[in-house]
Amino acid sequence: MVLRSIRMATIALLGIVGITALPAAAQKPATGTKVTEFMGLEGVKPRAGGTITLDSGNLQFTSSKGKASVPLKSIEDVVTGNDSQRVFRGTFGTLTMLAPYGGGRFLSLFRSKVDTLTIQYRDADGSLHGAIFTMGEGKADALKKEMLAQGAHTTIPQEEDTSGAKPDAAREKKP
Amino acid sequence: MKRVLYGTAVLLILLGVQFKLMEVRAQSTAPLAMKATAIQVLMIQSDEIKLPAEFQVSLYENLIEQLKKQGGFQHVYRDGDHAADSETDLVVLHSTVRGFKKGSEMARNVTTVAGKTSIDIHCQFNDKTGKNILEKDLNGKVRFFGGNLRATLDFAKKAAKMAHDNFVARPTT
Repeated sequence: MVLRSIRMATIALLGIVGITALPAAAQKPATGTKVTEFMGLEGVKPRAGGTITLDSGNLQFTSSKGKASVPLKSIEDVVTGNDSQRVFRGTFGTLTMLAPYGGGRFLSLFRSKVDTLTIQYRDADGSLHGAIFTMGEGKADALKKEMLAQGAHTTIPQEEDTSGAKPDAAREKKP
Repeated sequence: MKRVLYGTAVLLILLGVQFKLMEVRAQSTAPLAMKATAIQVLMIQSDEIKLPAEFQVSLYENLIEQLKKQGGFQHVYRDGDHAADSETDLVVLHSTVRGFKKGSEMARNVTTVAGKTSIDIHCQFNDKTGKNILEKDLNGKVRFFGGNLRATLDFAKKAAKMAHDNFVARPTT
């Protein structure tokens, strides 16, 4: 009797757990990657900070300065690279250049490393577009991997793509 | 004797000025290579030089943006745009990277004199049939302020100006 009720309770518990777990796995919240769109996306102002999400075969860029969507299958090339930028930039960064006793020069020594992600894609007319994104260090490779998995193309395989420069052999493959 | 010397010197100077004026006039009245209503920009090629992808894309995008900004052309087409096929007065711009030196923004900020970024590009303007109309080497550089990619903007401005000066029909007064 006791065993029977324990069995029933276990089955009921597993059923509840299964029902609640299914939608969570199906929805899989799209956590975007925070990036800065340096230039190139149609309808988005340059240097717009926003989020990239890969959703249903599209690269979605969302920011306060505009939205853009690029089908991943239309992306012909994804290349990652790395660079560094001033910690104090923008208007404040420009003003620091006026600091006395070489203060601006000293402050320009403080730099943060960034990853760059460059894409080339074609629109419906066949026109070639390019876009450049910058993001925190170490994020670009993961994003590229995800993009390639969802249908984007590249001329440089993942493991070779460290310098951001295109090798001649890879370039020759392009039509 | 002195007068003769002075006179000769003045004459030589005047002759020099005259030659220079003739040269300037000849340059300014040089016939236009071709008048075009549309231009197509092809993707920057860098077969000989290893150019980072962000520079390649930045050159291409800045070039298109500057050509639109400069005005004069009714259409600025991108690489691969099928609409360009129907244009009659079309100029196609091929750009090939001939030299690239990636400087350092930090070095520029700290030293002012070091860390220059420079890109040398060979620009070739062809007509629709592929015939070469004009070619020139242009340079883009950033010496003091801004990131390395600013050199691409410098090149784009020069190339757009050259295209405008040579192919845009000026209104007759």
